[in-house]
Amino acid sequence: MAFFDSSFWQINLELLQGFGSTCFIFAVTLLASLPLGLVICFGSMSRFGLLRAVTRCFVWIIRGTPLMLQVMIVFYLPGLAFGLPMENRMAAVLAAFIINYAAYFSEIYRGGIESIPKGQYEAGRVLGMTDSQIFFRVVLLQVIKRILPPMSNEIITLVKDTSLARVIAVGELIRAAQDIVAQQALIWPLFYTGIFYLIFSGLLTIGFGALEKKLDYFRG
Amino acid sequence: MAVLQVENLKKNYGGLQVLKGISFSLKKGQVLSIIGSSGSGKTTLLRCLNFLETPDEGRILVNGEELFSAADARTATPAQIREKRLHFGLVFQSFNLFPQYTALQNITLAMDLQEKERARRQKQRVSRQALEANQQKAQALLARVGLAEKAGSYPWQLSGGQQQRVAIARALALEPDILCFDEPTSALDPELTGEVLRVIRELKSADTTMIVVTHEMEFARHVSDRVIFMAGGVIEEEGEPEQVFGNPQSPLTRAFVCQAGIEKD
Repeated sequence: MAFFDSSFWQINLELLQGFGSTCFIFAVTLLASLPLGLVICFGSMSRFGLLRAVTRCFVWIIRGTPLMLQVMIVFYLPGLAFGLPMENRMAAVLAAFIINYAAYFSEIYRGGIESIPKGQYEAGRVLGMTDSQIFFRVVLLQVIKRILPPMSNEIITLVKDTSLARVIAVGELIRAAQDIVAQQALIWPLFYTGIFYLIFSGLLTIGFGALEKKLDYFRG
Repeated sequence: MAVLQVENLKKNYGGLQVLKGISFSLKKGQVLSIIGSSGSGKTTLLRCLNFLETPDEGRILVNGEELFSAADARTATPAQIREKRLHFGLVFQSFNLFPQYTALQNITLAMDLQEKERARRQKQRVSRQALEANQQKAQALLARVGLAEKAGSYPWQLSGGQQQRVAIARALALEPDILCFDEPTSALDPELTGEVLRVIRELKSADTTMIVVTHEMEFARHVSDRVIFMAGGVIEEEGEPEQVFGNPQSPLTRAFVCQAGIEKD
């Protein structure tokens, strides 16, 4: 049972350190891009044509290019173009991830908000509610219920996208496994990382399932 | 004195004039039915009264107070409109209940928000008594529309007729001077229209001032005090139901009433 000797636990420990970075990228990206996505969403739904056009163009560029490329551009471009090299690789990864995911989230939000029937707003207005009361007390929960499935999809994708951080040598889970492959001539730790991702996304799936169930009490 | 006076209301969409100068008045406790074919402007008129559309010309007065004047831009600011629109209540064709709230919560929501705003303005804490009073008021309104036992039900658990009755209770909660209905039974199965029309009849017997846009000719004939027949954005004929239905003066009215009668058989 070579698998379960002391080196197995040693390797697990090393992978866990890489997984720590993975979780860090995941958490920071999520926390920042969820609200930023709402800001972009309001921009792409703005009454002002110019703002709307600029925002939608921005979203097109972000969604239309690979995240891996965006990570590299954020990391290398400041140095090449302005002579201000990025000192912090993790910061570059986070910036690229946050912008990328905010753009995707903004489109999910927009779809959700635009799918709410006009009658809900009108009912709120004839009852004397302000626009913000209508948004927060009437529309928001219905939007959340509607966007939960696409959001869970996107967030589970983020778990796996964190592995792109290694293109600029940020030590996340896969990078940690590759180091072991190189140093100890073992291939299995690389394959074994799949278990980490599976457990992480499994927990998220359970969490989103519970949330969907919680909002099952109403329809609409 | 007239509770409602509408003077020369006009509304355009792009180049299309939907309302071409509508004037009428309504006395307190009266029920006015507005009939006419689709596209005659009757729903637009109701939406103008409820400030869901801004008229291009004309004035709206309630109890002699000018709520809206197209000539006076100050009467059309959002804050002004929000305050003044509460003179009117509106019941929609498609109910538009809030799906995430129970029947009772649908009714208390706007009342509670008003109480919270009042408290904030006066720098007081939200009074629990006021919120409880709102609950009791909502419960009483549900009883009035015959749904006392449905207070805890969500809209999807209610039939269309029951949803519409909750919507009526919700509109009544804010005690509007004039309660408007936009084809309140058009989205309902035929066997469910009766319960909604019964509630409107009951409101009439309690002297509620109402404007009902409707395709229910029998109802318009027997419940209204006044009937307006609209065609092409103007009031083609106005009068007591017996006159409009029994002895229409305009050929357009006669044709419409006849056709509506035939469709009914």
